[in-house]
Amino acid sequence: MHTFLLLGLVSCSILAVFSSDLLKAAISLAGASIFLAMLFFEMGATYAGVFEISVVAGLITVLFIATISLTTKEEETKHSKRLRLLFPLILIGLILIDFLFMRQYLGGLAPLAGPAETGEFGQIFWGGRTFDLVAQIAIILSGVFCVLALFRKRSGDE
Amino acid sequence: MSDFWILNMFFVVLLFLIGLFCLLAMKNLIKLLIGIELLSKGILLALIATGFEKNTILTSQSLAISFIVVEVSVLATAMALIINLYRHTKSLDVKNISNLKG
Repeated sequence: MHTFLLLGLVSCSILAVFSSDLLKAAISLAGASIFLAMLFFEMGATYAGVFEISVVAGLITVLFIATISLTTKEEETKHSKRLRLLFPLILIGLILIDFLFMRQYLGGLAPLAGPAETGEFGQIFWGGRTFDLVAQIAIILSGVFCVLALFRKRSGDE
Repeated sequence: MSDFWILNMFFVVLLFLIGLFCLLAMKNLIKLLIGIELLSKGILLALIATGFEKNTILTSQSLAISFIVVEVSVLATAMALIINLYRHTKSLDVKNISNLKG
């Protein structure tokens, strides 16, 4: 099941990269997010899974579709023929390199497993990582101000 | 190292490489954003898989949530930039955005 989900994630990602229609690419990316969220659920990371589905598969896809509809006029992104032919070869090469060297390098590392964490998710999130939350608020505000600044009307436009 | 973790890392590297390929080979601005998204998906999977392996899934989840928030903020800003650039150049091709080139 886990391998099937990982394969689904990679297939959706390849579709997102190589789809000539941007809208289909955005929807494939949402599919990849859903596969990733299912992997999170499977590994017991339920809160991260819920965030992945609601924010990444939901909000970011909506943002992508809004941007595509505001920018492109039914034009398709044409990829060069050479790139289309080259990509499967590159992908097979990458998989081979990954397969040949990954186990060799990672197998030499010391075991990661340690004692299980105690407490609830809320205690760790709100108590242990308070500084992260402050930084997140700052990042959200900076993102909002950036978007506001970019869409501000110039005085000459009015 | 368990086989489960190594399997996850295999796919993390694969996702990362596909994202890098997209960033290097594509010329459409939205496709470049999709490449960044793929890189971030690889990082998220690495975070959660390592947390699962280390038995620190709660800390990993909180880090993943912070990462998702940063990702959304970056993407929203990048999309606003893309829309503004499109209004000026009427194109999404990175080759046409060379006005600031020295």
